[in-house]
Amino acid sequence: MKTRTIAVLILIALAAALPARAAFKLPAPEKLVLKNGITVYYLRTTETPIVSFRLMLRGAGSAQEPAALEGIASLTAELLQKGTATKNADAVAEAVDAMGARFGIGSSEEMVAFSADSLSEHFASLLAIAADCLINPAFAEEEFQKAVKTRRDSLKAVKDSPGAAVRSYFAKAYYGSHPLGHLSNGSEESLAKMTLADVKAYYKTYYGPAKAAAAVVGDIDKAALLKLLNGSFGRWKGAAKVPAVALPPLPKPQGIKLLLVDKPDATQAYWVLGAPGYALGAPVTPAAAVMNTLFGGRFTSWLSTELRIKRGLTYGASSSFATFSSGGTFTASSYTKNDKIGEMLQIVFDLLKKARGDGFAAEEVESSRNYIQGQFPPTLETNASKAGVYARLAFFNLGFDYYDRYLAGVQKADPAAVKAAAAKLLPSDGYVLVVVGKAAEIKTQLDKFGTWSVKKITEPGF
Amino acid sequence: MKKKIALALLLAVTLASTFVEASFRKESVKVFSLDNGLKVLLVEDHAIPNVALYTFFRVGSRNERPGLTGVSHFIEHMMFNGSPKFGPGEFDRRMEFAGGANNAFTGNDLTGYTDWFPAAALEAMMAMEADRMQDASFDPQVLESERGVIASERRMGVENDNEGILSENVVATAIMAHPYHWDVVGWMSDILGWKRDEILAYYKTYYAPDNAVLIIVGDFAPDKAMALVRRYYGPIPKGTPPPAVITVEPPQMGPKRVVIRKEAQAPSFQMVWHSPAASDPDFPPLAIMENALLGGKSSRLYKRLVREEQLAISVQGGTAETIDPMLFTINVQPRPDADLAKIEAVIEEELGKVKKDGLTEAEFRKSLNMIRSDYFFGLQSINGKAGALGQAEILYGSWEKAFTRMDDFTSVKRERIAEAARKVFQENNKTVGTLIPTGGEK
Repeated sequence: MKTRTIAVLILIALAAALPARAAFKLPAPEKLVLKNGITVYYLRTTETPIVSFRLMLRGAGSAQEPAALEGIASLTAELLQKGTATKNADAVAEAVDAMGARFGIGSSEEMVAFSADSLSEHFASLLAIAADCLINPAFAEEEFQKAVKTRRDSLKAVKDSPGAAVRSYFAKAYYGSHPLGHLSNGSEESLAKMTLADVKAYYKTYYGPAKAAAAVVGDIDKAALLKLLNGSFGRWKGAAKVPAVALPPLPKPQGIKLLLVDKPDATQAYWVLGAPGYALGAPVTPAAAVMNTLFGGRFTSWLSTELRIKRGLTYGASSSFATFSSGGTFTASSYTKNDKIGEMLQIVFDLLKKARGDGFAAEEVESSRNYIQGQFPPTLETNASKAGVYARLAFFNLGFDYYDRYLAGVQKADPAAVKAAAAKLLPSDGYVLVVVGKAAEIKTQLDKFGTWSVKKITEPGF
Repeated sequence: MKKKIALALLLAVTLASTFVEASFRKESVKVFSLDNGLKVLLVEDHAIPNVALYTFFRVGSRNERPGLTGVSHFIEHMMFNGSPKFGPGEFDRRMEFAGGANNAFTGNDLTGYTDWFPAAALEAMMAMEADRMQDASFDPQVLESERGVIASERRMGVENDNEGILSENVVATAIMAHPYHWDVVGWMSDILGWKRDEILAYYKTYYAPDNAVLIIVGDFAPDKAMALVRRYYGPIPKGTPPPAVITVEPPQMGPKRVVIRKEAQAPSFQMVWHSPAASDPDFPPLAIMENALLGGKSSRLYKRLVREEQLAISVQGGTAETIDPMLFTINVQPRPDADLAKIEAVIEEELGKVKKDGLTEAEFRKSLNMIRSDYFFGLQSINGKAGALGQAEILYGSWEKAFTRMDDFTSVKRERIAEAARKVFQENNKTVGTLIPTGGEK
């Protein structure tokens, strides 16, 4: 390897040559209020003949569903697209595809989100279909049965993809009975018990316009848009009051929990390591972003450099923070061939220790700040990305100046703040590590990290 | 994921090529040619203070030979691993310090390097891109380490992915002579066996200014950008024209079958037929048919296999937009207990209907709308614009195709669909692959 010093000197020279960066800001949207109280943020853009719509509903996410009905949030969202009072599921799909439009309703942990994007000329029709799905769902028994069957099959099929399966095993091992451990496909048990009546009741109770957030960005006139919205989503009554389901505090692993899932045909071992992170909007956010960019958030990150670039152990290695209203999670993950898994994990633990103890060099921190700033504008480039950001910022009440504050915070993150974020957020002795691989070839390499629970991938569930 | 073999990306962008209604139009493109043969396309776009710098080379797995399979993709990786001027890893370190990010992909026909960065980094990025176009080091030690990365990528995408391994077997069975026979990632034995001098010779042959197109879209002044292009790329010597790909796939003489038995929770299923090249007049009708058959939840095969018969979790596929004739693919994720013979029968039945009656007027219009809106969705970003231009230049030999490709679709007469389908979907032209689970809890 070439010395790092030379590279660093070149980096400093390059930085000196960079002129002052023009501040790039999220354009301020206009606020429209529909007759049922839903607030819609609107921005007119004319570069492409496309309009994007986003709507986020509170209280109906997977972390807010009753434990016995694991998967009902995602199932309900799917069934909303499977027919209305006047159109069956095929007719809905046909109408959307006929326009070449993109339409989806999906649940994540703390929300249900509608997304609808189309050519401007089709937007009125698309919006009408989307609203019809929300307001007049058919909830047909036949569609319910099909959706449940597909979910059961998917729960099984995912085990053929170790990279995806390890995520499900990790969610269960890390979150246990905490609602963030709910899988969107549900579980064998919950799917066996769930009925269409449950879905209808869930919809009736948890779907309402209170505190919903919406946005429209694209080539459409304001007066026309307001009329369209009031004639569609503005007519929605829904549940008068959605129950306030607060996310319980996230689990904090005490000690080290190790799980090995035996997949006898695997030639590569896949792993995820997780530990507590921070809540959405927490003051540590900018420093944590600068830190994680360096640790595992970009191509030259420590994980990628040590595992991929220097040693060729893997195609990819990364880390990230997931943030929720009451807390968050740090995860790192990668994979390597069976005989290298012990070596790889040792390097990961050494890197975690080094980051916590030594922090990062000033040049690295500066590079990370530049990287975050430089890669920010493209995240707001399309109508869809702008609409998503407006709705999300409004939904979580973060303010439209959120990214200005965030980027200012990034600019202020110095090596001391970044080291403090590493010391606070990178785990030393409270974490969960899950490996999916061929136990016969990897177990002995893993034993030095502690005592492993072992299960077979063919055992039901995760 | 970084440095990915972006076959899927190629297919996705493919159909999308055109219609001129957006502010992005033919007149927005400034075209230059350097004396060394480098073609340069510039599009000024100040929507965000960033620039997309794309370099596409006319090289892919199509240009390889046995023993050197996967080498195009390997060179793509080695392009990030240093030159005499910029040591291993410096390209990424400098780029990220300047606020930039990149990716690269290798396909059957082309290799693309895609950089996105703040406007102020244009000169630094160009200096590094021009440098590695002629001067990548292939340091022996770094080369060995990168071999391991590729082996891991192959294990992930092929050996530990049931659909990946089935697809590799099916394609290699269907195509016996043409270099599309092997996967872009290459055979494992070749990955472990490439010799440095062979790799270097391949690089010297295909990485030359006259075998590339440079596309710059974003926040810059064209005259200044061109001055930089001339400064950094001008001195690169012209290359020797690479050898033509002469192998032509012979006609298939009868149906072929591949069966893989391995431990799995669920089976996999794939069918392919030899199908015309992107520039063939039969390609647009087949691409239109593809949307009606496989595009979206209203498509014929989705409705039959996933919804009505409930034999599958998903179904996807379609044409391959390639320089030489390749395959029309139908890839099914069967339910764990599904009867694979029934899946095949349903597909044959639906293809039979298309061959007999073609598409309905509504399906025909739907497909064209899908192609059209995909095109505009792609043009919302500087990356999308750069990609569309580069793709057209390499696959059709003309960037203008990015603005006229839609005419090839809209001018298709509906009756042409059945005609084109009858040529492709013949019993003697098909290969069927199944992956049957063994072991486990069965």
